[in-house]
Amino acid sequence: MKQKTQVADVDRSLYDFRFEEDESDFFDSGITPEIIREISEEKNDPDWMREFRLRSLEIYKRTPMVSWGASIEGLDVDNIVAYIRPKTRMNTDWEKVPENIKETFERLGIPQAERESLAGVGAQYDSELVYHNVREEVAQSGVVYTDLESAMHDPKYAEIIRSHFMKLVPPTDHKFAALHGAVWSGGSFVYVPKNVHLEIPLQSYFRLNAKGAGQFEHTLIILEENSYLHFIEGCSAPKYYEAGLHAGCVELYVGEGASLRYSTIENWSKNMYNLNTKRALVQKNGRIEWVSGSFGSHVSYLYPMSILNGEGASAEFTGITFAGEGQDLDTGAKIVHNAPNTSSYMNTKSLSKSGGKSTFRSAVVVNENAVGSKSSVNCESLMLDNISRSDTVPVIDVKTDKCDVGHEARIGRISDEAIFYLTSRGLSEEDARAMIVRGFADNVSKELPLEYAVEMNSLIGLEMHGSVG
Amino acid sequence: MSETKVNILPVPTFSSLGVNYAKRDIKRYETVKASISPSDNRSVVLFADEKTLSVGELRVKVSRGVKLKLVQVFERQSPYVSKLDAELEDNAELELIQIYIGGSDTVSEVVTRLDGAKSRFTAVIGCTLDGEDKLDINLIAEHRGRKSESSIEIGSVLRGRSQKIFKGTIDFKNGSSGAKGSEHESALLLDNRVRNRTVPVILCEEENVEGNHGATVGRLDENHIFYMRSRGISEEKIYELAARSQLMKAVSRIDDDTAKARVYKALGWGDADE
Amino acid sequence: MSDLLKTEGLTVSAEDKELLRGVDLTLGKGETHVLMGPNGAGKSTLGCTVMGSPEYKVTGGRILFDGEDITEESADKRAKRGIFLSFQDPVEIPGITLSEFLRNALEQQTGQRIKLFEHKKNLAAAMSVLGMDESYAGRDLNVGFSGGEKKKAEILQLLMLKPRLAILDETDSGLDVDAVKVVSKGIEEYKKSVGGTLLIITHNAKILEELNADKTHILSNGRIVREGDGQLAFDVLADGFEKYIEEV
Repeated sequence: MKQKTQVADVDRSLYDFRFEEDESDFFDSGITPEIIREISEEKNDPDWMREFRLRSLEIYKRTPMVSWGASIEGLDVDNIVAYIRPKTRMNTDWEKVPENIKETFERLGIPQAERESLAGVGAQYDSELVYHNVREEVAQSGVVYTDLESAMHDPKYAEIIRSHFMKLVPPTDHKFAALHGAVWSGGSFVYVPKNVHLEIPLQSYFRLNAKGAGQFEHTLIILEENSYLHFIEGCSAPKYYEAGLHAGCVELYVGEGASLRYSTIENWSKNMYNLNTKRALVQKNGRIEWVSGSFGSHVSYLYPMSILNGEGASAEFTGITFAGEGQDLDTGAKIVHNAPNTSSYMNTKSLSKSGGKSTFRSAVVVNENAVGSKSSVNCESLMLDNISRSDTVPVIDVKTDKCDVGHEARIGRISDEAIFYLTSRGLSEEDARAMIVRGFADNVSKELPLEYAVEMNSLIGLEMHGSVG
Repeated sequence: MSETKVNILPVPTFSSLGVNYAKRDIKRYETVKASISPSDNRSVVLFADEKTLSVGELRVKVSRGVKLKLVQVFERQSPYVSKLDAELEDNAELELIQIYIGGSDTVSEVVTRLDGAKSRFTAVIGCTLDGEDKLDINLIAEHRGRKSESSIEIGSVLRGRSQKIFKGTIDFKNGSSGAKGSEHESALLLDNRVRNRTVPVILCEEENVEGNHGATVGRLDENHIFYMRSRGISEEKIYELAARSQLMKAVSRIDDDTAKARVYKALGWGDADE
Repeated sequence: MSDLLKTEGLTVSAEDKELLRGVDLTLGKGETHVLMGPNGAGKSTLGCTVMGSPEYKVTGGRILFDGEDITEESADKRAKRGIFLSFQDPVEIPGITLSEFLRNALEQQTGQRIKLFEHKKNLAAAMSVLGMDESYAGRDLNVGFSGGEKKKAEILQLLMLKPRLAILDETDSGLDVDAVKVVSKGIEEYKKSVGGTLLIITHNAKILEELNADKTHILSNGRIVREGDGQLAFDVLADGFEKYIEEV
């Protein structure tokens, strides 16, 4: 039957292809101080960064594995090539990007997306940024969108990076934060000056494209007072035969009265270990909005954290997780109310199908000083068959009386009545299910720019029709 | 010295929140073990007070078609560890009423296994804490029986520097087709140094189930206060009434008049007949 | 072949309870039939069974639509043949708008792609017939709709999907004045623009008056106990069921 419920059919091969890597250099797969020095030298790190990497490695070696969450038994960190240097350097001119890399990106639709009036594209091939371009108007507004490595060497930004880099997510946070601190490579630096409202979203695509390669990109975004930014992080990776690791780190600093929307539709290939750390620090009257879709990877640990540090700061988290065959997706969010009159709202949906496991995990902490704060959490889970699993593990920790905290969760399945109702109007059972699931996911799709919502709906359609190959 | 992990959360989460388990040196405590397995409908009231040993282990088995109503009142002011293990056969019903009055350091675990088809578990819990009181409750409803149902309701009032952790888990095991579970917590916080942790867990490996949980934590709703004041009720009285209503659901389910009078007295509510 | 729907010795059960015990019913093309009966007679069961609800199991007999045996067909196939059932309590589908849903259903039924602009135009026209506010089109299907609004949305679907056979189950729904108007208006419009066949389950005098029914069937305890012309429906309303059921 033709899939009419979708806006556009998507060819799964768009997501599951890769080129044979050729002359790229591989480092020794184990991670030693020598490797770290080598990486550091290769990247021409400033001294402080080299020291930072080495310190992080020490922390990594002595930090135990996390004791909760999905199983990462299949992951052998010491066998993952931490860093692969692509053959090209930074390029702002699309024409100069090597053909095979270009083809990869072209199949992912990056240049098209740019043509469609998108602000800037920072695309990461393996561990290094190979293509980077910011539209004139964006640059003229004073917004900086560049890769972190070059920004580190630019005297204008060196200091600001040093004072913010892994200050929000210190290497001591957990084992993979430490690993990230030691081997991070690539990623984006965005700086939005005071009072600048960037209406067009900035986008970045991350990809992994070599066997056994880890991806450790770092995203650092700083919003000054009363500024606005929408940043879109898109991930998709081709299929591998060995386990891949993604341990990225996102640090977001939202200044007074500023507002940041951070959207991610993540579609890593189904053998990836996605152990990502994302955190936002929000000042007085600032606002962070997370929109998060988790579809890919074999195992995910992802709980974007919002620290509401100034009076009147607010956070909103909207997420969807779809765990299919062989997937164990442990996702959710953390919110810390650390100032008076802060507010947070969380709305998540999770789906489990074909033996997949999804876990919603959250923490809402209201500290003593957060008087007058409000928080509301709403999570819904849908079981699509009898061999899957869905767990909900929220924690609410309240340390003051003057607050209002609410939590609601539901779990269930698609009712027979709903299927009958839709089929009685002519939809096949399969399409009826797909439609209900699409409606279920609408909390996220309506928050996304149209082209992303279309892509997400296509992904859901693919998962529902079981045609993922 | 040798502390044992008790009240273990079935699925561990972020360790910094301190909710994964409690540690107590229970080997030094004296334990009283008891079991209840009625063959006909029964109502049992148990008090845990200063005369009670510091660890109470209670095993309950409710046979096919039998209904047991179990009331537990915790009014002990020194450390106490309570364990209740219940097993429900087909069509068996357990109504559990727990009332925690104070409890300087109480750890209480309830594991109810709804093994039987159409078995039912209703838990209504009320607690009032003040001063340095600490209470850690770990309640688990394991659904294995087809069309089994559980309903968990907890109301609490926290004052002073008291701390409460309520972990409530509804676990739908494979085979519990048609099962339903619901859990609702309401916590009224009346002092700015209290700490209330709520962990409402749903675990699910069965498609055909319905589960939901809800929690409201914090101060009294402003509309509520305004409404009451508009009817001429003083602010002090409004809080008193609100605190009372948090426990009332549990207390009102006590049928035994002597027990009810004792609970009313302990709560400072005056006579039960009022 | 001028019969559109024919049930032959239809027996149906749900959860091991026999609900229909041999129902023979024939609806000629373009006719309007009324189905009446006391609570629990099996009226809704009959409607749902003809639509193909998996909840009800056909244990005997068969259902013919336009001469073809559809007893074993799934609900969506029957919908494509042109059978429509209005639900007493339609299901809420969050996240999918009424307009989007109807477009999908139409595309599925016709197998043709429908242009958004055209769809919106047709929808607006149908809505104006029923006096519905245009904002309904953008609301999630039945979500938060009042009883009357749900009824309107069902009748709207009837007008949009243009089925050959419409089964309107209005039993026990306690229709308010507004909903009765919508149902009557919808039926009138349906007959005028589509000229389809109608099986309506109702006790409502107002609806009956405007129906001009060809035939009345009385169902009791899973059996058709009395059949007659359109006047029979009014007689039943005036005299009560007992008289007609006892005669058997």
